[in-house]
Amino acid sequence: MLSPKARRLTQLLARLPGVGEKTAQRYLLYLLTSGTEVARELGEELARLPETLRPCVRCGNIAEVEHPNEDAVCAICRDGKRDGHLLCVVARVHDLVAIERAGSMRGRYFVLGKLLSPLEGIGPEELPLAQLVARIREDDVREIIVATPPSVDGEATALLLKRELGRELGDSALTVTRIASGVPHGGDLEFADPITMGRALSGRQKL
Amino acid sequence: MSDVPVLRELAVRELQVRSFRNIARADLVFGERFNVLSGDNGQGKTNLLEALYTVATSRSFRATRPGELVQHDGEVASVRASVEESGDLREQQVGLRAGARQVKIDGKRPSTLADYAVRTPAVIFHPGEVSLSMGAGSERRRLLDRLSLYLDPSSMAELESYGRALRSRQKTLETRGTSAPELGEWEALAVRHGLAVMRARARAAEPLGRMATLAFARIGAPDLTLDIRYAPGAPVDEDTYLAALAARRESDRHRGSAHVGPHRDDLSLLLDGRPVRGVASQGQHRAIVLSLKSAEVQVVGESRGVHPLLLLDDVSSELDPARTEALFSFLRDQAGQIFLTTTRKELIATGSTASRVDFRVQNGTLERTS
Repeated sequence: MLSPKARRLTQLLARLPGVGEKTAQRYLLYLLTSGTEVARELGEELARLPETLRPCVRCGNIAEVEHPNEDAVCAICRDGKRDGHLLCVVARVHDLVAIERAGSMRGRYFVLGKLLSPLEGIGPEELPLAQLVARIREDDVREIIVATPPSVDGEATALLLKRELGRELGDSALTVTRIASGVPHGGDLEFADPITMGRALSGRQKL
Repeated sequence: MSDVPVLRELAVRELQVRSFRNIARADLVFGERFNVLSGDNGQGKTNLLEALYTVATSRSFRATRPGELVQHDGEVASVRASVEESGDLREQQVGLRAGARQVKIDGKRPSTLADYAVRTPAVIFHPGEVSLSMGAGSERRRLLDRLSLYLDPSSMAELESYGRALRSRQKTLETRGTSAPELGEWEALAVRHGLAVMRARARAAEPLGRMATLAFARIGAPDLTLDIRYAPGAPVDEDTYLAALAARRESDRHRGSAHVGPHRDDLSLLLDGRPVRGVASQGQHRAIVLSLKSAEVQVVGESRGVHPLLLLDDVSSELDPARTEALFSFLRDQAGQIFLTTTRKELIATGSTASRVDFRVQNGTLERTS
C-alpha cells in the first residue's frame, strides 16, 4: 500500500498522456530508489517551466524565454531566413514538429491548438481566427497552407478557414491551399490502405 | 452470370473460447462440413455461433458494444481460431473488454479493422432476420454495409465519417441555430461522405438483388417475381443533395435528425411490382429472407473467392417442412463449412453422417458426441 503522499504523486504522474496507474507507480518508485538525482533535477526544471518555456506569442509553437518579462517568440519566428509570406496552419505543435522534421517547409507556422468539433463542444469562436487574420495582415502573408489532419473535424476546420479567410480578406492576393494526401514515398503501392489509395488517385497530377 | 467462379475452401479447424458470454472455456475441433450444436434453450448454442462469427469478422451479429460479450464475472473475453484456407493455416484472435476490441492475425495486428473483417467471410442466418423483409430499413442497410465491405474496403471508414459529419451538423443546429455559418462545412462533408456511402451501397445492391431474384424463383413461389432495388435516402446529385440539406435545417433541428441522407437508405422489395410489406404472407416473407441470405452467401463468396462459413441459428424452428427441406437442399449444394444450432438434432437432415459432427451444449459447456 502506498502512503497518502506517494499516492498523490502517482495520481499526478498518471495525469500525463500515455501514463496509467501502473506506469506512474513505476516512475515514482524509480525516482525514490535509484533516481533521486533525476528527481531533484526534474523537480527544479518543472518548477521553472513557466519561466523557461512558453507557447510562442506569434505562432503557438514552444518558445524558450530568456528573461521572465519578455514575450515568448520561438526559434522559427525569429529565423530571418524563413519566408514570412508563406504560413502553414496546423492543429497541434506535434504536427508542426512532424512537418519541420521533413525539412522542406521554408515558411512559418500558426498553431490552432484545436479543431472545430461541436461534438466535443468546440465551436468556431474557440478557434483563434482573429489572431490568424491579424498575423496574415501583419506579415503580408501571400499563401496559407492548411495542414489540419485528414479527419472529419480536420476537413471541417480546413473548409471553415477557407470561408472565414475569404470573408475577412476577400480581395487580397491571399492563396489558400490544402496539403495533399496520397501514397507514401519508397513504399510499395500494395501496402497503401484503400482510402489513401483512393485519395492518391483522385488527387493525381498531370505528368 | 455465365461462368461460375471456382471458390477456394475455407474452414475453422479449431476454436478456443474464454469467458465469452456464458461459455467460460471451450476447446473444440470442428468437422469440415456440417457441425451440429444441439441442446435446450438458454444453454449457450447461440453464444458459440456468436463467438465463431466474432472471431471470423471481428463483430458480433447481436451486441453493439464489445463489453456485452464478456462473461459476467470476467474482465476480458477472447476467442481464437485456427482457420484453413485452401491448405494454408492462419490463426485469428479477438480479445474483448468493455470499450475495447483487439484483433490479431498470426499474432500481428492488421492495418485496419476492415482488413480483418473480410479475411474469413461468415454469413449468419438467425430468427431475428425475418425483419429483413418485414421490418424497417435498418437491417437492410446493415446487409448492404456488410456486402460493401467486400466490394469497397473504404466503405466502413466512409460510413463512420458520414455519421460524424451528420452528428456534428445536428449538434451545431441545436447549439448554434439554423443560420450558423459553419453548417455549410458540415453539410459539405455530410454530402461528400454520404455520396461515397451511397455509391458503395448501390454497388452492393446490384449483385445482391440479381442473385436474390434468382434464389426466390427457386425457393419461393415460382409464379411470383421478387424484384430488389436500391432506394437511396438522398439525391445522388451533389448540388441537389446539398440544397436539400440546407433547405430543411429548421425542421431537422426540431425532429432531431436529418431528413435526407444514406441513414435513410433502403432496399425496396417488390413482389410482382408491389411492395412486400403490404402484400406478402408470413411464408413469403421467410422465403424472401432466405433468398436475400443465400444471395449474401453468393456475393460474399464470389467477391472474396472462398466459400463463406455458414452459421445457422435455430433456423428450422422458423420454417415449415417444405421450406426447411428447401433450406437443407440449398445447404447440401453449398460446398463450405456449416454450423447449425438446434433443440432437436434429429430434425437436421444433413445427408451423409460421414460429413457430420455433433456437439452437445449444456450450461455453457460443449462436448463432442460423434
